[in-house]
Amino acid sequence: MGQIEFHDVTKRFDNGFEALKNVTAEFAEGSMTFLTGHSGAGKSTFLKLLLCLDRVTRGQILINGINVTQIKPKRLAYYRQNLGAVFQDHHLLSHRNIFENVALPLRVSGMRDKEVGRRVRAALSRVELLPKEKLFPQYLSTGEQQRVGIARAVVTRPKILLADEPTGNLDPDLSRDIMELFRQFNEVGTTVIVASHDRALIESMGTRVIELANGKIVRDLAGAPVD
Amino acid sequence: MRIARETMHFVSARMGTSLLVWLLVGIALALPAGLLLLQLNLTQMTAAWDGRPGLSVYFELNATDAVVDQVAGILEQEDAIEYVEVTSAAQALAEFQSHTGLADALELLNENPLPASLRAIVTVGATVDALQAAAAAVRDVAGVVDVVVEKTWMERVIDISRVVSRLGVILGVLFGVGAILVTATSVRLAIEARLEELRVLKLVGATEAQIRRPFLYFGAFYGLGGGLVAAMLISLCLVLIENPLASLLGSYGKDLETAGFDPVFLSGLLAMGGMLGVAGAMLAAKQRLSGLQIL
Repeated sequence: MGQIEFHDVTKRFDNGFEALKNVTAEFAEGSMTFLTGHSGAGKSTFLKLLLCLDRVTRGQILINGINVTQIKPKRLAYYRQNLGAVFQDHHLLSHRNIFENVALPLRVSGMRDKEVGRRVRAALSRVELLPKEKLFPQYLSTGEQQRVGIARAVVTRPKILLADEPTGNLDPDLSRDIMELFRQFNEVGTTVIVASHDRALIESMGTRVIELANGKIVRDLAGAPVD
Repeated sequence: MRIARETMHFVSARMGTSLLVWLLVGIALALPAGLLLLQLNLTQMTAAWDGRPGLSVYFELNATDAVVDQVAGILEQEDAIEYVEVTSAAQALAEFQSHTGLADALELLNENPLPASLRAIVTVGATVDALQAAAAAVRDVAGVVDVVVEKTWMERVIDISRVVSRLGVILGVLFGVGAILVTATSVRLAIEARLEELRVLKLVGATEAQIRRPFLYFGAFYGLGGGLVAAMLISLCLVLIENPLASLLGSYGKDLETAGFDPVFLSGLLAMGGMLGVAGAMLAAKQRLSGLQIL
C-alpha cells in the first residue's frame, strides 16, 4: 500500500471538460516523483485534487489509507496543515516580510511565538535566505521568492510536499538549485511530487516520472507506456 | 492579541473610511438611543407625578374660607378623591414671596393679589369618568373660577411617551439593520482588500474560524466606535437642548434632571454597537468567505 493512492480518479468540470480520466497511481512514502506533460495534460488538477482544492468527480484518493475525497469541509484545514505546497507564482503576501510569510502555516496551527521563530529561521536557513528574513517579497529576485515559497511549504515539516511548476519562471541554473532543494527534503523522508513540463530538468534528476496526456497517465518511467 | 493588533493597524491605515463608518453607525445608533433616553425621561416624569391625575380648583380673589371649605368638603366626599390639599390665599402669597424674591414689592400692595386654590389627589385606580364627575360637582359652585383636570396634559405626556417608545423600537430596528448593513459593506470591502491573503491562509491550512476572526474584530471595532460616536452625539444634543428644556420644564414647576444618560446606558450603547458590528461582519463573512476559491 502506497502513502498516496489514486484509484480510478476522474475530474470533470462543469463545462464537461475532463481534466483527469480514470487515473490510478500509487506513491510510496519517502518517494520523489515528477508529473509531466503538456499544458492542459492534467498535472495541476492532479495536485489540486491532492490538496483538496477541488473535488473529484469519481474515484478515490487515499492518503495513508484515508479517503481524502470524503473529508468534511471543516476538517479540510487540518488536512492541509499536513501538506506542503509550492506554486509557480509563489503566493507570497507583499505586505508581510519574509519571516512572516514563512511563519503563516505555523501561526494558523497555533504554535507559540518562540517555536515559530525557531522553525522559521531553520527553514530560511535551509533555503539560504536567513539574512533576508526582514525584507519584503518584492525586494527579492524571482528565484529567492520561490525559495521563500518552499521554506513556507516545509516549515511545518510536512510528510508530503507538492509543487506545481515551481521552476516555471526560473532560468536553468536557478531551476536546478530549486530541484536540488526538493531532493534534499526528499532525502530526509518527505514524499515529494513535482509537476513540471521541463523534460530536460526532470530527466537530469533521475527519479520516477509520470507523464500525463489528455487527463490520462500515458507513461511511467519505471514501466512501459500505458494504453 | 496579534490579530486584534493587525486589525487595529488595518483600521487605522484606512482612517478616512473608518471615520465614515463610525459616523454612519453612530448616527444610526444615536437616534433610537436618543428616543430611548427621551422615553425614559418621560416615564420618569410621569412616575414622579405619581401616575395619578389630579384636580386643581382656583377660586375668585374674594372667595371666602367657607367657600373653599365647602368645595373641599364636596370633593372629599367623592369616591374618586383620596385627599384634598388647600392652599389659602395667605399661603399662596407666602409661597410666591419665598420663590420669587419679590417679598418687598408684594408688601407694598394693600391686598393679597393671589386667590386661594386647592388640589385634589385622586385614589389609585380612579376612572377618568369619576374624575370628570368630581370636577363637574364643584365647577358651578359660586366663587370657583376654574377647575383644571390635570390628567389632560399628563395623559398627553404618557401618550407621547408611548409614541416615542414605539417610534424608538421601530427606528431601533430600522437603524439597527442599517448599522449592520453599513458594517457589513465596510467589512466586505476589507475582505476584498485582503482576498489574496485569505486565499494563501486557506492554502496553508487556516480554518474558517481563523479566516473569519479578523473580520469579526473589524465589525466589533466599527460597532464600538459607532457606539462611542452615538454617545458623543447624544451628549452634544443634551448640551444643546439643556437651556430650552430647563425653561420648558420650569414653566411646569419642574427641575431639569436628565435621567438614564449614565454609565449603564453608555455601556449598553457600546455593547449594542459592538453586537451590531459583529452581526454585520458575520453577514459579510458568510456572504464573501463561504466557498472562497483558493486558486
